[in-house]
Amino acid sequence: MLFNSVDFAIFLPIVFILYWFATGKNLKLQNILLLISSYFFYASWDYRFLFLLIFSTLLDFYTGIRIYIAKTILAKRIWLWLSIGVNLGFLGIFKYYNFFANSFVDGLAHLGMHASPWTLNVILPIGISFYTFHGLSYVIDIYKDKIVPTKNFVEYSVFVSFFPLLVAGPIERATHLLPQVQKERQFEYSKAVDGLRQILWGAFKKIVIADNCAKYVNMVFDNPSDYSGSTLALGALFFAFQIYCDFSGYSDIALGTARLFGIELLQNFAFPYFSRDIAEFWRRWHISLSSWFRDYLYIPLGGSQGNVWLKIRNTFIIFLASGFWHGANWTFIIWGAINSLYFLPLLVLNKNRTNLKIVAQGRYWPSVKEFLAIMATFCMTTFAWIFFRADSISQAKIYLSILFSTSLLTPPKLHGETLATIILVIIFIVIEWSGREQQYAFKRMGFKWPRLLRLVMYYSIILSILYFSGAEQQFIYFQF
Amino acid sequence: MNRFAKTVSIFMLPIFIMGIFVEFSLRIIPNDYLYKKKYLDKNSENIEVLFLGSSHAYYGINPIYIHENSFNASYISQTLDYDYRIIEKYEGRWERLRYIVIPISYFSLFSKLGETSEAWRIKNYNIYFGLKSSLDISDYFEVLSNKPEINIKRIESFYLLGEENITTSELGWGTNFNSQNGFNDDGEVAAKRHTKNLDGSFFKENINTLQALIKYAGKKGVKIIFYTPPAFHTYVENLDRKKIDQTINTMTQLDEYYQNVVYINFLADDLFTETDFYNADHLNEFGAEKLTRRIGDLLIDSR
Repeated sequence: MLFNSVDFAIFLPIVFILYWFATGKNLKLQNILLLISSYFFYASWDYRFLFLLIFSTLLDFYTGIRIYIAKTILAKRIWLWLSIGVNLGFLGIFKYYNFFANSFVDGLAHLGMHASPWTLNVILPIGISFYTFHGLSYVIDIYKDKIVPTKNFVEYSVFVSFFPLLVAGPIERATHLLPQVQKERQFEYSKAVDGLRQILWGAFKKIVIADNCAKYVNMVFDNPSDYSGSTLALGALFFAFQIYCDFSGYSDIALGTARLFGIELLQNFAFPYFSRDIAEFWRRWHISLSSWFRDYLYIPLGGSQGNVWLKIRNTFIIFLASGFWHGANWTFIIWGAINSLYFLPLLVLNKNRTNLKIVAQGRYWPSVKEFLAIMATFCMTTFAWIFFRADSISQAKIYLSILFSTSLLTPPKLHGETLATIILVIIFIVIEWSGREQQYAFKRMGFKWPRLLRLVMYYSIILSILYFSGAEQQFIYFQF
Repeated sequence: MNRFAKTVSIFMLPIFIMGIFVEFSLRIIPNDYLYKKKYLDKNSENIEVLFLGSSHAYYGINPIYIHENSFNASYISQTLDYDYRIIEKYEGRWERLRYIVIPISYFSLFSKLGETSEAWRIKNYNIYFGLKSSLDISDYFEVLSNKPEINIKRIESFYLLGEENITTSELGWGTNFNSQNGFNDDGEVAAKRHTKNLDGSFFKENINTLQALIKYAGKKGVKIIFYTPPAFHTYVENLDRKKIDQTINTMTQLDEYYQNVVYINFLADDLFTETDFYNADHLNEFGAEKLTRRIGDLLIDSR
């Protein structure tokens, strides 16, 4: 059940009405309803993997309690590593096994030895990377005495499986979400309206911007050798907007949906394409994942403490792990490595925390310096996205060799639809820029306008969503 | 809470009204599915030869060349499961039916309408044929199953330009693959397109459908003629040899096993030349006449 599907448009109002009206606002009943709805939502993808989700939930719920009540450090460690081992084991089998098997055989082939890979014919359970990280953060936080485990299985299960975040995040923390699940929720008109606005904006980003960009992107990435360098450059540019609008659009719908149920999720994006350096970009892009890696991998490794080489090593590890988290393909690892290379100079020169404030705060326009810094950062990320989008390293190489050829100076392949997409992207950038001081760009848009004009704006957005909808397009991050 | 529900309901009302209006406007546009359904509703008791299948039958079989009372109930992208559903729908009404004729094309045993890019056509069977063939609610509404720009074009062409969208002859043959448009040799592209998702995951299911169809026909004393339709050499040469061999072998086995089954392979038949084709895998009116007459002869032979 995709967020941009008719099924979800029916499912959400039903759950919403039951949640606020049929449960008598009883917390236990509301949580049970959320859990049943979330399992139904998940089972609608593939009911077989529901058992894996329930097993993973049970495991972390149980090990969390065992860690807490264990008398010795050794016992705590054993339970912690059992949870980590089983969770990462599942992730390894379903997501990475075939990659390791094939890479091992390829490696042997380079050494002149030949073997056939023993691969598994398995489908990747949707959302496994997300709910695994939910569970891991929970047990690690208990181990570090940051939280006390809940003894209520329903509450814990809602934390892991809450349907808005179940399949593509944001990756929540028990410290943030679990207290909300345990606390009585009151319906607030303004929050519910804000939730709907965020859902509307997320749907616009996904259906109007991302899916339109996707047409051109798919065309050029499917056969890069058929196109000129300029066409490939435009394809890479469109992909930068596709991936952003696709994923942040999903996050907006997730955050807006959760708000309808009185729950606040972590902000996942904060206008990353207005970043002035790559460090700022990574504080604004997929925030819940970046902060997860920071807290559960980077800091335990020593973080930015220690000598320069240790910092460099830790940065490399976190970026490679982040790349690898996205998928079992060398392209993602290279993408992570490129980003670490962008990041390292800032780290070494101690300039990775220079741009902490919102760009051009309180001003309409950025300064020339800020503008150039934004453009440079955007170009760097767009270059790295080519590896992220390519099917293989060899395809990325072909793409780059044509991109950086003389054909870059020829006019790109354009047709009516492409021009329309360019106009839509420009409109989108303007809205994003004007709303960059808010949680999401559309949050306060039109607040000071006359009521009629505001209605025209809402209906225009809805009609544009309806116009460009049709064949449902998967969200890119579902594959991770 | 009540304020929220009221505001959202009032806000959404114009969208719902517009949706209902568009749905209604689309449903009253005459279309081939509705025509075929109405024809079968009225004449299924008298039909002796029923043609089913995909576009290869829709454009390739013109029932006016058949002596018996016959009708072509095939349509573009119609897969075996929908052929069977149409037969089932008129259960008890096939009083004079003697032959069911179904094309087994290169992709027939490997595809299902619901799993192809043509899945949007399912709504036509649900809305116009009255089949309840899907659990997806989108498949029961025009506005939910097509892209809005397509719906707008349909409304524009019917209501503003006065264009009819009927491409079916009185007996169900597809009339718009005409020789006047010349021959489009798209063999390689068409073969690749048809090979793209031919992974075998529906093979078993399709064989089960065929067997159910054969058994159903057997009980009624109806013969089933399966044929692999003719195609231009550029198409045939680019097919996956393993898949086409698997199809031919399977159909030959069914022919040998069941008494009420006849299978004939026209795929590379010399009788069909370039002038008979509209494109590499579809016949034009001349090719349709040839193929229909050949099948007519086969019906006489198999009596």
